Amino acid sequence: MNTASMRLLPLALLFCTIARSADLDVTITDIRVAKGTLMIAVVDSAAGWDDQAKAAAGGTRKASAAQESFHFANLPPGAYAVKVLHDENDNGKLDTNFMGMPIEGYGFSNNPQLLRKPTFDEAKFDLDAAGGAITIDLR
Amino acid sequence: MNRRRFLRNFIAGGAASALAPRLLRAEVAVATGSGQFARGLATQPWLAGWKSIDSESIGPITATIEGRLPKGFSGTLFRNGPAWFERAGFRYQHWFDGDGMLHAWHFGERTVEHRARMVATSKFTREQKAGRFLLPAAGTTIPAAVLIRNNDDVNTANTAVIRFNGRLFALWEGGSAYELEPETLRTLGPVSWREDLVAAPFSAHPLVERDGSLWNFGSLDLLSGSGLLLWHLGADGKILRTATLATTAPGYLHSFAMTERHLVFMLMPYQLAQGEGAAFFERLRFMPGQPCRIAVVPKDALDAPQWFEVEFGAVYHYADAYERRGEIVVNAVRHDDLADMRSPMAAAMRGERGSAATKMELVSLHLDLTRGRARWQASGVRGLEFPTFDRRHDTAAPSRLFAPARVEPAAAPYFNAIAAIDPARERRSVHVYGADILAEEHVFVPKPGSRRVGEGWLVGSLLDARRGRSGVAVLDAEHVGDGPLAQAWLPYAMPLGFHGTFAA
Repeated sequence: MNTASMRLLPLALLFCTIARSADLDVTITDIRVAKGTLMIAVVDSAAGWDDQAKAAAGGTRKASAAQESFHFANLPPGAYAVKVLHDENDNGKLDTNFMGMPIEGYGFSNNPQLLRKPTFDEAKFDLDAAGGAITIDLR
Repeated sequence: MNRRRFLRNFIAGGAASALAPRLLRAEVAVATGSGQFARGLATQPWLAGWKSIDSESIGPITATIEGRLPKGFSGTLFRNGPAWFERAGFRYQHWFDGDGMLHAWHFGERTVEHRARMVATSKFTREQKAGRFLLPAAGTTIPAAVLIRNNDDVNTANTAVIRFNGRLFALWEGGSAYELEPETLRTLGPVSWREDLVAAPFSAHPLVERDGSLWNFGSLDLLSGSGLLLWHLGADGKILRTATLATTAPGYLHSFAMTERHLVFMLMPYQLAQGEGAAFFERLRFMPGQPCRIAVVPKDALDAPQWFEVEFGAVYHYADAYERRGEIVVNAVRHDDLADMRSPMAAAMRGERGSAATKMELVSLHLDLTRGRARWQASGVRGLEFPTFDRRHDTAAPSRLFAPARVEPAAAPYFNAIAAIDPARERRSVHVYGADILAEEHVFVPKPGSRRVGEGWLVGSLLDARRGRSGVAVLDAEHVGDGPLAQAWLPYAMPLGFHGTFAA
């Protein structure tokens, strides 16, 4: 390690400290039935989006109202995307019919106006050190 | 089926509104708002047929009877049609967009009672709560529409109604049948006939076999897939068979025909015009330069269709079909005016008087099963729609048909008469209700205990524009020209609908 980088180290550590404090609040609206489980994943990469890497954060909750909120603390600032699935019948997956059409609720960050699963880039948003709040409308 | 493509047509409405919601809202409010329609209605009372309902239910109320109900005539005429056209000053531009309202005209021995109730689809329920249109519509771009989960999110259940398996269903063409309680018209919910077929399209025009089983199709084109889903349900409501009929190009169809041995599906070629933002019927462009493709599907071999091509013709409704000497003949109402076909009564939806509904003709489609050739034959009978017939008909000869027709003078650019047409004998009899009456589909009701084909009554609904009242008429089907035996009127007018069924 050279001298320059050693000098930078304290600064980098400082950034890390700030970074760990970014909080994300996710409000989920348009929950149609008060049954089953909401499953949410916060991912920080295209690999995470496609279930090829671990999610940065996640959670589950029984659906009991038309609107629910999730709070994620201490995320490093950066680009994230969020996906939500409402597993209405608690079978652990998003049910689809013979055409592959979803028949349970789902939603993505940015609420992209698409009739397919958006890409990570289409769903991603920047979370800065001050934290952030997003709303996902379930469909 | 590629999930990416499903329902692109419907969802596209939302995409455009995201780009310019305010602009769209402003334009629409000026061009097609409720105000313009109300101004039209003030001077043209017949526009009551396209006026929006604003309450979830009507009645029950006892109707005032004129004339005498025939002895033995009892039961319920159920009817369905688009009825809720406006919210928050925004008015649909396309007749097919209105949310469905189910009507029940109950005939006792000496009384007629009417009640009606909006079908509580998920779309209607969500929009009632929101106080504005939220969901993409089939024929109107909706500003700031919400994202949809699947096609049933935009299901209006507004086209037809059937009794089947002792149950009552409100039908649309792009999604599930909605079941209702026959007595109260309370909505029970969308029906899934099998777990994997949730939200599968189930057309508004199923056909029932003599054994009580039911045939239907669902167009996968409407969901940006391709082909037809074929349904055969047993009289017990359980699926006997389903199959997919593959197609090679987009083809629109609203209904189908059947003979004793075959199902007949005619696909009208179309393209969708550019403009991801627009609704399906706004983008729909029929291709009259290309032939229609017709699949004749043996009922006992759904995977072995025989394909035909015929010069382009635009059809919403088929009447009877029969088979003799190696030929299938299908009677149909063919539309010459493709703009009207795409958006029927579009001017009325705006509160304006458009040209009269006369550019349709009763035709027959002849399919030579041996030579594989198809041709149209004109009848010269024009200006009619919504054909019906006695379903006990001879399966090897043409049936007597009944259809609302237009006879001048008529205040509205709509049907004002009921015609009985006997293609075999080239005879016609017509009853003209009057210049101020709008006449709807008339359903054939067999006389109880009768086995003779054609012996029965017609029952159909009416709108008396001058007196601002809706009603029903009962005629002797063998003496249509004599006019109604009885009519029953309500003290108010309701919007017109499409199709009905009679349950004795």
